[in-house]
Amino acid sequence: MVLTPDREPDVFTAISHRARRQMLDLLTEAERPVSVIAAHFEMSRPAVSQHLRVLLDAGLLTEQRHGRERRYRLVPEQLGPVRDWIAHYERFWDDHLQRLQKQLSKRNRE
Amino acid sequence: MTKTIRREILVPQPREQVWRALTDSTTLAEWMFPNDFEPRVGHHFTFRVPPDPKVGFDGLVVRCEVLECEPPSRLAFSWSAGGPVENTRVSYRLEPDGDGTRLVFEHSGFDLSQPWGDQAFQGAEFGWAKMFKQLSAVVAGLAADRK
Repeated sequence: MVLTPDREPDVFTAISHRARRQMLDLLTEAERPVSVIAAHFEMSRPAVSQHLRVLLDAGLLTEQRHGRERRYRLVPEQLGPVRDWIAHYERFWDDHLQRLQKQLSKRNRE
Repeated sequence: MTKTIRREILVPQPREQVWRALTDSTTLAEWMFPNDFEPRVGHHFTFRVPPDPKVGFDGLVVRCEVLECEPPSRLAFSWSAGGPVENTRVSYRLEPDGDGTRLVFEHSGFDLSQPWGDQAFQGAEFGWAKMFKQLSAVVAGLAADRK
């Protein structure tokens, strides 16, 4: 299956990686400097930065400099598309419940 | 926050007939998807959503287990389709309403407050984007069928 790659990094791709979801998890409580985030992971600091970059590019985080430190903050509104995902499921069921109703009336006529 | 999809529909058919449509594998396949459903608690079954090359959808298997089965009033099964939709719960409650039936449908267990939690995501590298596109394609396909 060939899918046209999205132009901009989307939220779904950004949260498709376990480490990045854990990073978001850490940031739900408070903004944190990269050193604190990195301390939770067994990966290299550049690898942590790379993941943070993906989250930044998707708009899920903002970055602020405090002296020599960079701090990251979660932008929860950006998770909107994930909630929209549920809306697609709602349509899915609306369609299927309609099909059920048609199915029932068909059996009535038989 | 756990999100629940809830719908209530009134149909003129009696509960027994609605129950058949929900639990007879062949009839169920006509309005849902091909399946190996059996109406007994603990039965594991799947819905096989067929591929649709027209919209670039390569099929999907939904894994389910019957959780409740009380003819003709209650049916519930688990629904696991990957991503945030692991171990969600689909249930139907059938209540008599005159000569017809009030059907109360619920799909619950989408935990969106922790979309990155281990529970919701089994397997670290699940393709969310792909799943999203697939489901959209299925819905679009269904809408097209009706025209």
